[in-house]
Amino acid sequence: MSIRFEGVHKAFGPKKVLDGVSFEVKKGEILFILGKSGMGKSVTLKHIIGVLAPDAGKIHVDQYEVSSMFTEEGSELLPKVRQRCGMVFQHPALLDSLTNFDNIAFGLRTPQYREKIGREPSESEIENIVLEKLGLVHLDPEILPLYPSEVSYGVQKRVSMARTLAPGPDYLLFDEPTTGLDPLSTASINELIAELSRSLKVTSIIVSHDMACALSIADQILFLDQGKILLMAPPQEVVRSKIPLVSEFFQETLSLLPPDWRFE
Amino acid sequence: MKARFDQAAQSVIDVLHEFGGAWLFMGKVIRIYRRTHGYRKAIIEQVAEVSTRTMSTVIFAGVFVGAILVLQFDAMLRRFDAQALLGGLNTSATIREVGPLIISFLLAGKIGAYTTAELASMRVTEQIDAVESLGTDPIQYLIIPRFFGIVLSSVILLSIGLFVSVAGAVLVAQAFSGMNLYQYIASIPRFAGAWTLFEGLVRSTLFSTIVATISTFKGYTASGGARGVGKAVTQSAIYINIYIVLANFISTSLLEWIHDFIYW
Repeated sequence: MSIRFEGVHKAFGPKKVLDGVSFEVKKGEILFILGKSGMGKSVTLKHIIGVLAPDAGKIHVDQYEVSSMFTEEGSELLPKVRQRCGMVFQHPALLDSLTNFDNIAFGLRTPQYREKIGREPSESEIENIVLEKLGLVHLDPEILPLYPSEVSYGVQKRVSMARTLAPGPDYLLFDEPTTGLDPLSTASINELIAELSRSLKVTSIIVSHDMACALSIADQILFLDQGKILLMAPPQEVVRSKIPLVSEFFQETLSLLPPDWRFE
Repeated sequence: MKARFDQAAQSVIDVLHEFGGAWLFMGKVIRIYRRTHGYRKAIIEQVAEVSTRTMSTVIFAGVFVGAILVLQFDAMLRRFDAQALLGGLNTSATIREVGPLIISFLLAGKIGAYTTAELASMRVTEQIDAVESLGTDPIQYLIIPRFFGIVLSSVILLSIGLFVSVAGAVLVAQAFSGMNLYQYIASIPRFAGAWTLFEGLVRSTLFSTIVATISTFKGYTASGGARGVGKAVTQSAIYINIYIVLANFISTSLLEWIHDFIYW
């Protein structure tokens, strides 16, 4: 059970976004992908769920090769990969025309979920799952009948997380989950990510700029720059790295950490 | 000079690229519909929504289109003392040409722009990616209902538009040309028959397919934040109008040729 990239290349026009990227995330690990903006972090995540196709290279999710699923025949397997992966986008990406309840229940009403459980889920089952996931993201059921535009941005982010968790994915992919949030909400979302990743024992890949969070919860940290991997290592090694961009990130983070902070 | 030529050549290539992209997109939509039979309930809801949202504008415009045509034809026919032909000429021109064209432009301005803006916003806020990541085909869930909603509702709107247009024409003919209802209707069979209705229906379906294809294609492929949404809506409006005018010329030539081939 793993996600594996083998020499993945991706370019948008003349701009190379991924240039021979290879790495592996094992079951239960938490991987943080750090790097400056526009360096291919979000693009990496979108390749895993097959929203983007690589120009070259291979991407494996468990036994499936996602990179071979962009043909008419191969595309039939893509839903099986997406069923295993839950992605939290940079924006909440909730459907405006649906209530928060229907947004969370969206993934439970798909053919893939029916196939996963082997039958059509009843409305009461869907309601129970929605309430359970709502509890996991620390939200009250009062927000369920409301539309996304009627709740705050922070609540929308949590609803988006509940929606991702609802179909019970094996992999959680977070794309800059704290973008646009105030510092308090950022801290709370980071805690929630750590809590969910550990308690649900799922493999998580988190794209972020937040090194402080990465140092405290990641098993591995991957630095991307100019489409290439600068470093992939556990936090203990990252703090000792002499690579300029990595140490620059770490120095920036030090100023945000408490003065008595020590790496455990 | 060379730079300007290159720029012009690039613009032509871009237009052809967009045209090809739109054709491929329409093919994909139809292929997916044939494979899955879409969300029929959602299609019916879209037909109802598009029809009700555009109805008042179509009725308002329809009355005046009929009225204006009567005034124009009346002024010309009076010179030749041929006012007895007013009803037939006016009805034929409305059903064959002006009705489908005006209704398509109304659809383009109201529903086309709305559809492009809605889908483009969904694209740039990652709602479409989210739908895809949850294992639902966005073409099936978002595009097919809107596409067929526009095409099917245009038939309903055309019928209503033509009816009110003829009614408006009769009223104006009575008020300004001194014709009574019987005189007006008597000449209609000489100019407008089953072929005229067929022409109106073909043109209307063709133009509304253009509106549906371009508006969904431009919205679905939008990128680049709020600016990208604005650009998609503007391009959608421009391309729809250009393609409708071109399609009108081609369909007129072809239908005339087919008519002559059958009836002579």
